[in-house]
Amino acid sequence: MGDSLYLLGLVALTSWLAWRGGRRWARLDGARLRPALVRLLECAGLTVGFYVLNVLVGFAAVLVLRKLTGSFISMYVNTDWTLTLLSAFQAVTFQWWRAESE
Amino acid sequence: MTARRPPLRLASSVGALTLGALLVLGFTPLVGEISRRVDAAPPPGPADAIVVLGAGAARDGVLSNQSLRRLVGGLVLYRRGLAPRLVVMGPGYQGGPVEAEVRSTLARDIGIPADAIVVEGGGLTTQHEAALAARRMREWGGRRVLLVTGAQHMHRARLLFERAGLEVVPAPVVEISPAVRRPDGRLELARIVIQEALARLYYRVSGQL
Repeated sequence: MGDSLYLLGLVALTSWLAWRGGRRWARLDGARLRPALVRLLECAGLTVGFYVLNVLVGFAAVLVLRKLTGSFISMYVNTDWTLTLLSAFQAVTFQWWRAESE
Repeated sequence: MTARRPPLRLASSVGALTLGALLVLGFTPLVGEISRRVDAAPPPGPADAIVVLGAGAARDGVLSNQSLRRLVGGLVLYRRGLAPRLVVMGPGYQGGPVEAEVRSTLARDIGIPADAIVVEGGGLTTQHEAALAARRMREWGGRRVLLVTGAQHMHRARLLFERAGLEVVPAPVVEISPAVRRPDGRLELARIVIQEALARLYYRVSGQL
């Protein structure tokens, strides 16, 4: 558990520093942290949604490309971890798009 | 001025579950414990051939970590005298070298006799590899194989090889240790376990298992 506790402790410390700094210097409203956390959950959920969509479409695309081209494309290409990161970018963009449309 | 959009409730719920799962899988030993129990196998016994499944090689001929680990697993079994033949598998990917040939060269370089090594580089999927191995075994008149692949991949591979008419002695190779301590390692192990579960589902739905 050593590595896990260290990493969680590190993030807890920097989060606390951000909280203090945000309140003191940026004059952020403490009561708005809760809705911000809800937005975080929303973003995480959207990331999962985009990831599932990417994997499903990718899976179908591989099957179609195999049929059309006759060449072999591995299914494993759809499980590359960078797809998670790209899905997160899609989720953040979608959230900002919603916010900008208000 | 328009009203602020309400949170996406479904997305928030999925997000909460995801972050919870991330904490449990990455920051506790749970996935390692599951992997250790599910992937346990008895010590391997003698067979007619050792079959090492493919796992990828780069365009410059460098074997992937999984490929190298599986090959080492097969070499150890051969050195123990558990089978007279070592079948190395793995195709060429996108114009790169054939993985099975790279493995064969490496095996010869470290002293495995050339006539004991069988290069089978045509298998593109596990099912395809099973069919090719079964054909080779029919030619030799044997059917018992020591199957070398990743611990998480073993269950599906074993079913496919048995379906191809072979008797399988599993010799799983640990590709990520269940005792991994860092969260990134645990999450990678979880990813492989989930990926393999989805692959099994696909094979069942498509009638290959």
